[in-house]
Order: sequence, then structure tokens, then C-alpha cells
Amino acid sequence: MPRRRIYNPLTELLAAVLLVVLVLVVNRWEFSLAVLVFGVLPAVLLSGRARQIGLAIVLVAGPLLLSSLLLHGLFFPEGSTVLVDLGIARVTAEGLTFAAGMGLRMTVFTGVLLTAAMTMDIPELLATMTHRGWNRKLVFIVGSAVGLLPHVALRAQQVTRAQQARGLVVGRAPLSRFRALVAVTTPLVIGLLVDASERNSMLEARGFSSPGARTSYLPDTDTPHQRRARRAMVAVVGVFSAAWLVIAAVA
Amino acid sequence: MITLDSETFAYDDGVPLLAGLALTVRPGEYVVIAGASGSGKTTLARLLAGMTGADAGSVFRGSIALDGETIRFTGTPTDPRIDPAAWSSRVAYVAQGAWGQLSMMSATVGEEIAFGPSNRGVPPERLRRLVAEVAAALKLTPLLDRDPRRLSGGQLQRTIIAAAVVQRPRILVLDEPFQGLDDDAVQDVAAALEALRRDGTAVVVCEPMLPLSAPSGARVVALADGRPVFDGALDEGLRAGLRRYGIGAAGDPPRVDPGIAADRDRRSPVPGPAHEPHREPAREPDREFDPPLVILRDVTFRYPAAGEPRPQTGLTGVNLSVSAGEIVAVRGPNGSGKSTLLQHLDGLYRADSGSVTVGGILIRRQPTGALATTVGYLFQDTDQQLFERTVLREVSYGPLATGSRRADGARRAAEALDRVGLGALQNAHPYELSFVQRRLVALASLMATGPVVWALDEPTAGLDEPTRSMLATLLTRHAAGGGAVVLATHDAAFADAVAHRSIWLEDGRIRGTSTAS
Ligand SMILES: Nc1ncnc2c1ncn2[C@@H]1O[C@H](COP(=O)(O)OP(=O)(O)OP(=O)(O)O)[C@@H](O)[C@H]1O
Ligand SMILES: [Mg+2]
Repeated sequence: MPRRRIYNPLTELLAAVLLVVLVLVVNRWEFSLAVLVFGVLPAVLLSGRARQIGLAIVLVAGPLLLSSLLLHGLFFPEGSTVLVDLGIARVTAEGLTFAAGMGLRMTVFTGVLLTAAMTMDIPELLATMTHRGWNRKLVFIVGSAVGLLPHVALRAQQVTRAQQARGLVVGRAPLSRFRALVAVTTPLVIGLLVDASERNSMLEARGFSSPGARTSYLPDTDTPHQRRARRAMVAVVGVFSAAWLVIAAVA
Repeated sequence: MITLDSETFAYDDGVPLLAGLALTVRPGEYVVIAGASGSGKTTLARLLAGMTGADAGSVFRGSIALDGETIRFTGTPTDPRIDPAAWSSRVAYVAQGAWGQLSMMSATVGEEIAFGPSNRGVPPERLRRLVAEVAAALKLTPLLDRDPRRLSGGQLQRTIIAAAVVQRPRILVLDEPFQGLDDDAVQDVAAALEALRRDGTAVVVCEPMLPLSAPSGARVVALADGRPVFDGALDEGLRAGLRRYGIGAAGDPPRVDPGIAADRDRRSPVPGPAHEPHREPAREPDREFDPPLVILRDVTFRYPAAGEPRPQTGLTGVNLSVSAGEIVAVRGPNGSGKSTLLQHLDGLYRADSGSVTVGGILIRRQPTGALATTVGYLFQDTDQQLFERTVLREVSYGPLATGSRRADGARRAAEALDRVGLGALQNAHPYELSFVQRRLVALASLMATGPVVWALDEPTAGLDEPTRSMLATLLTRHAAGGGAVVLATHDAAFADAVAHRSIWLEDGRIRGTSTAS
């Protein structure tokens, strides 16, 4: 394991989700930036696998950012301060501000969720959900969704190994590493699409979607303390969000 | 009891399979489904497992009856759907290719085995007892705390079988379960299946070749081109002349044919011209003067612990030298380090100490890809090796990555495909092919780069008789043309017939060497 675990994975996952909710509700770039700098950044650095997580965030958030910039930066209907006029498209100050805000928010989302998911101890998460008697469907959905991450990681590693065995040269220079990364993406995505349905039917054939209660091979690591903490977190965020939205509506 | 009554089955390419096949398997029965590549074994196994493939565009007409309840299929969209969770609680299925069957939700072998029963709510106490029992029966107890993604091929295969056996299904369908297992593991798995049968479980096993032995009362159903051609006892089957359907018997030596052009796939309509590999012209190996093509000196390697209880020994003090013209078999039990050794030859793993030299190149810190023109590696698991979307792209990847021009790469790929008899499948998607065809695509993809050293990990596993003989011919030719072959294998008959020498590994050390007579 890359790092010492302090909290139960369920607590961590919940904290990540609540953080995303807060960012959505508050909807101010200052807050998003604060979460990014004081939340995501230290978490990534302390995760023990900062490189992989950083890379994943760049890979997911990068294209999102770019498309947001293109879309809102160039075509923002309410924009009035025109910076560059390209005929069909106008670069406006309002558009750019909006794009930056959106981009920041998306970066925070991907950062928070990917960090949580990529440091997640999936077996322990499933065990906790099972011991807490969670709804089967939910266990299935969460389990197969987060289970996809190690699957993707493993598959990416296998494809790179296969490519290297056949002559793909990956040097130490960043550019060479980047090219290797690009080389792996297309086969990875196609392979995963092919695998996805197979994987689902395999999970079903092993009874993952059965009705009725599930049991766990692993002991329960959750504590009453953390359970209370989770409830408190949900309550606080719920009340805060409601208050914030009401105030925003009134003001 | 399960009864399959197939009028016809077709994948989305429309070729009809399993026409007029009726199969009933009674409680406690042991049925071997034998057939060459493409005969429809896996299709049959999947139907028994309740996978009619309707969502993937397959058309099945017929019926499946399980414990007196009959489900009919007319090949139309209104057909009933089989509930996979309910069906699999009675019929367990172990597919080919162990990697794809890992849940990816278990950190240990123990959890992986427990995955099925825990999904069905088996109480924890009983769950742990069941897992312990199955693990003991399949000699997995020392591996219970290991990460299932970091096992050897045979260890993983045993884990997957254990995960099916632990469910104690009414019917257990296994697609080539003995593939890649060492002799002891074969015995252990057979014994575990026998124990299930005593409790009334019916066992259906698909095999590319007739097994030499099977439990008493075993029945063999032989398939050829999707039709049943034999149904009876094993000893009758062994005398029934099934060879004409490409169904050989396990343990037979392959038929090596070094003289004429390689046997081509019977089903391949386009015979390609016989091409010589891209290498220096054929020559007689001259061991006096040529330095060996592969030299390992005192190689020691340990897998990093990475979260596991302790680091695994990969290799300890391995010395090996293979000359041009030589075929060397690496043998030994599951987990003894065969795959680890082969991956040192092409640089995928780097020795902690000692040295590896291939084709005169000392492997130090150069990128793995730089060695691909010298050494070609056939992965033990084909699924780990293939990644492209057409067969031609897959096979030309190597030549293109090592600097061939586009047209030249395509030509080399086409030649390699012809040599393995797949010339007609250039535009197929590798995922649509049968297991044996995928294996051959993987082989062609290393041949296309023209390496002088071939490192092949279990190349005969799962092959049918014609393909196994073709492989023997290819290896013999490669060596005769001045190349060297190092192959890891559990196929004793193949190694004895093809290899000049066998080295035996145990626990990462070379325990002995035997030379072919
Ligand atoms: N990626 C890995 N990480 C850690 N340990 C590993 C890894 N791969 C293999 N091992 C361990 O190293 C040892 C040698 O494995 P290897 O795969 O070389 O065996 P093998 O002889 O090829 O076995 P098989 O006949 O089952 O294919 C085994 O104990 C195995 O569990
Ligand atoms: Mg191996």
C-alpha cells in the first residue's frame, strides 16, 4: 500500500463527494481555487503516487479545460467586451472569465474524485458497504465503477509492455514518455470498450448482481466513531448548502 | 440436469454453428467436449453457461433446459433473457483466459476465491471455511495472501478454478481448464472436480485434444466444424480416428515437417507464397566459432514486494547459454520462474545482478523496445499481447515501430500471417478470433519483426493438433535457419520432440538439464 490509511475508504469517498457538492453550491472561483490548492494538492502530494495521479488529472481535466476554453472563450453569447473578432467567433473577456471559472471547477472535480478513487482501497470499501448492509444495487454500481480504475491501470501497463516488447522505444526524456502515453491511449480505449461488456457479464456470472444480502470475507474496519463523523459531515454540508442557496436566492 | 438442444447458432458473421446438436448432461456426469480450433467448443460452453450472445448480435435457435425448466429461443428479439445471476448460481463457468475473469475488487487470492459465494450471501464463518478447504485442495493455501494480479500463469489459473469450485454449482463448465497447469496441479484440479462430482455436480470440460486419461465413466463428445462427430467413451474416442477432424490426443508428439512449406490452416483459402524470414541467409550453426545468441550469467531477480507480505523470488543464480540453431525448453512447476526467465531475454525484466546478453547485445539500461529486432517474446497470456483493432495492424505494429516503412511493414506482416496460415484474416478484429487464431496472431506479430531469438511462453497451450504441429515446424525451421528458440512449456511431448535440450527450473533455480536423445 502506498500510504498509511487513517480513515475508512467510505469516509474518504464521502468526503470527496461532499467537497464536490460544496464547490458546486458555492460556485465561486476563489473557493474552487482554495479547494484545489489546500485540498487536492496536498492530498496528491501525500498520496505516495503523486506522479500517476497528477498524470491522470492532467489527462482527464486537460481536454475538458481545452474544450471549455474553445467553447466559451470563442462563443460566449453574453460577452460584450470583444478582445478579438474572428468573424464567426469572438473572443470576449466575459467568455474567457466564464471559461476559466468552469475550467477551474472541472479541475477541482476531477482532482478530488480521481485522488479519492486512485488511493481507494477497493476491497475495503466494498467490505465496509457490505458490513453496513448497503443496498445491493448500489454496491454493484459503486463496486464496478471504482473497480474499473485498477482494471484500466493494469490494462494500460499491459499494452505498454506489449508495445515495448515489439519495438516501441520509451526513453527517459519527458517527450519520449509523452509519446509512449499517446501510443497507449487509443488501444487502451478501444480495448476497454470491448472489455466493458465482457467484464460486466463476468461480474454478473459471479453473482455480483444477485439479489439478497451480500457477505464479506474481510472483517469490518469501520468504527462507530467514523459512522457518526460521516453522518455529521452530510448534515453539515446539507444545512450549509441549503442556507447558502437560500441566501443567494434572496440576495 | 442440463439439456441443450441447438438447431443452429450464428455469430454476427452469419456462419452457422452447432447445427442439430443435442447434449444432455446428468448429475455427476463428466463430459469432455473435444474439438479443433473453430469447432464450436467455446460457443457450446457459453450456451450451457446461459450466454446466448443475443446482446452481441448472435442468433441462437433451440432450447436450453435446466432442472426441468425449458427456455426456448427462436433467434428473434422477443427471445427470453436468461438472468445471469440466477443461472450462474446453478451453472458455474470458467472461461478461457484467466485475466479477464479477475473481479479487480480483491486485493488477495482469498478474497478473489470468496467473491462468488460472498455475493450470494454465504455467512462469513462458512465463507472462510469454504475458501480454506478449496485452497487446500488446489494447493493455494500459501498464496491466499498474494495479490491475484501478480501470480504466475498457472497460479492464476488455479485461483480462477478455485473461485468456480468454491461455489459448488450443480453444473460446472470449464473451457480448457488444464491449460498452463503443471502435472501436480492437473492432478489436484482433477481431484477437486471428482470431489464435486461425488456430490452430484455435473462437469463439462472443453479440450482441444482428447485427454489421455479421464475419470471413470467419462463421456467424450467430439465436434468438428460445429457439428458433433462422436459421442462415447474416451477409449473408444481414442480409437475412432478423430484425427481426420484435427482432434489429436494429448501427449502425442507433434508432426514436424521441416522440409516443405509450413502447413497452412485448412480453412484458409488463400495460400500465400513461402517466404523466408528476414534474416541473414540460412546457415549451419557453427558452435565452435559463433558466440551463443543467448547468454545468462548468474542472473538473480526478485519481484518488488509492492504491498505484498514479502518480495517474490523470481530467479536465483541462473546460468544459460543458447547457440544459433538451438531450441531450448524451459520446464518446471507453476511459479518456478519460467516466464520470469523469458522476460529477461527481451528486457521486460532486468536482472538485479548477473548479466544477460542476447544476439551479442549486453542488456543494461537500454530501452526494452530497442531489443525487439533481436528478441521476440510471445506472452503467456495472449490477451496481454494484442492491442490493435485489426489483425494486419497488430502484426505490422512491430515492423513499423522498429523502423520499417509503411508499405514494407504491411508486406512483412502479410508474410508473417501467411506463414502461420492466417493470410485470409488480415482485416478481422483480433477480438473476434478464436483462441488459437489469436495465439497465432500473437506469434505472427513477433515473427514480423524478424528477431533472431524467439522467446515463447507456453506456445502450445490450448493449441489443437494441426496448429501444434505447424508450430513445431515453424520452430524447427527458425532454428535451422540460424535462429534460436527458448520456450517455456508444460507440454512434455512437444518439448521432447522439438527441443534439443530442456532446463528444469524450481523455485527460480536451475535444477537440472536434459538433452534430447
Ligand atoms: N508481477 C509479479 N509480481 C510479483 N511476483 C510475481 C509476479 N509474477 C510472478 N511472480 C512470482 O514469481 C514466481 C515465478 O513466477 P513465473 O511467472 O516466472 O512462474 P512460471 O514458471 O512461469 O509459472 P507458470 O508455469 O505458472 O507460468 C512465482 O512465485 C510468482 O508468484
Ligand atoms: Mg509462466
